[in-house]
Amino acid sequence: MSGFLDYVPGNSFLHKLNPLTKLILAFLLCVSCFISENHFFVIGIILLNLIMAASAGVFKRSVKMLKALIKFSLLLFVVQILFVRDGNVLLSLPLGIVITDLGLSFSLLFVLRLFAATMPLALMLSVTQMSDLSNVLVSKVGIPYKYTFVLTTAIRFIPLFSQEMSGIMEAQIARGVEFDTKNFFKKIKLLLPLCVPLLISSVKKIDEGAISAELRGFNLRQKNSGYKAYNFSGLDFCALLLMAASISCALFI
Amino acid sequence: MIRFEHVDFSYGTSELMKDISFTINKGDFVAIVGANGAGKSTASKLCNGLLKPDKGDVFVKGMNTKTTKSSKLARFIGYLFQNPDRQICQTTIYNEIMFGLNYTIEDPSKRKAKCEAVLENFGFDGSKDPFNISRGERQRVALASILACEPEILILDEPTTGLDYRECMQIMDIIADLNQKGTTILMITHDMEIVQDFAKRVLVLTNGRLIGDGDCREIMTNRELLASTSVLPAQIPILSLMLGDDFQNVFSVEDMLERIEILIKKGGNN
Repeated sequence: MSGFLDYVPGNSFLHKLNPLTKLILAFLLCVSCFISENHFFVIGIILLNLIMAASAGVFKRSVKMLKALIKFSLLLFVVQILFVRDGNVLLSLPLGIVITDLGLSFSLLFVLRLFAATMPLALMLSVTQMSDLSNVLVSKVGIPYKYTFVLTTAIRFIPLFSQEMSGIMEAQIARGVEFDTKNFFKKIKLLLPLCVPLLISSVKKIDEGAISAELRGFNLRQKNSGYKAYNFSGLDFCALLLMAASISCALFI
Repeated sequence: MIRFEHVDFSYGTSELMKDISFTINKGDFVAIVGANGAGKSTASKLCNGLLKPDKGDVFVKGMNTKTTKSSKLARFIGYLFQNPDRQICQTTIYNEIMFGLNYTIEDPSKRKAKCEAVLENFGFDGSKDPFNISRGERQRVALASILACEPEILILDEPTTGLDYRECMQIMDIIADLNQKGTTILMITHDMEIVQDFAKRVLVLTNGRLIGDGDCREIMTNRELLASTSVLPAQIPILSLMLGDDFQNVFSVEDMLERIEILIKKGGNN
């Protein structure tokens, strides 16, 4: 079963970029949508993300991720719209709740930013091998391997925990727990006791992983232990120029 | 009790089940065998509605699993997972056994009485933390919490994996006893000794296709069928296959002694 952060092999423009460039690209894309107050610019960033996803062969996965975000973003949209009281009142509701034009605009921008900022990192992880990411952080950025390993392992564990949670939920459904209910709040209430088996299995997995890594000489690794060179090419400079343009647009539009 | 009707199931592009049809009757003790990836776990999850068939239908007590919630089917079907840690979610054995009972028995006093009876039956100290006992004990706790709900059908996904011989026999004796009392058992296992000792009927799966369905002796002594799967039969059937035609259909130690006796007599007469 492939998780939404698993590496997808390919030969696209994004695949060929230096892992550090991809990381900077993802970071700057996120920053640019938080700098800009323009809805169309943020929509543009979402479209750019989708185009990049399509070129890297992960379009379906990106759309699936956006769909998964819809429920959460709707919840955020409602909360935001109810709490922003500045601007012209568009609609007055009972209990003194008002919906304003500013509230509507801000909530919409908030949700669009959520979509635009979530995609670049997931996209970057889909086109980068975890080992390359940790190696480049060690060799180019100078972060000690211990910390980059923690970072990449944490990312790698997300789909594993998700699979483990599905397995635990299956086991509980088989015991008569109604996870197959359509009531969202009931589902959340039922999920709480499952934190125990998930926590136990996670701690066990991490403990076993740590022992296994130590037994294979984890602590002997140094900055120059990696054998791969991560040189920057013309493509990387093109990507960084594109990002510089994006940041400029975000600042001036 | 369980009926598969031309069931197809695939995950992504991999076809895990292709045109599977079989019926499991009340009181059967059925083992599903086959190599890893043959579709055994898929078949068992189709039985309790955790997976829904792409084509065809699965019926449990006449209810179509496509239209019945898994949590509803759980009232009739108990499912013991290979890894008990996925099932155990409470901090004491008492609460763990009560967990399933909360969904099946409404009266709290009856629930408590049932839980205490199960604890006594299995010899558990209810106040113990289920995560601080051995793997075999955890498997027994998981089994006890399922059996407390008195399911009519019990599905076991590799129940003896990772257990020593004593723990394995403890689990299997409980299951055999339940079957004697009328519970329908569907067991997935790689352990052919267990299959030979306990199962009455065997289903053989290969690449999502059902290639064998018959009583245990019939399947375990079928040379052609065994040759076409990665299933290694129990020791006596293997020995009989190695010894050739004179030992055809020898299934147990008793069969072997009987056959040797016949051959000695035959030799003496000649």
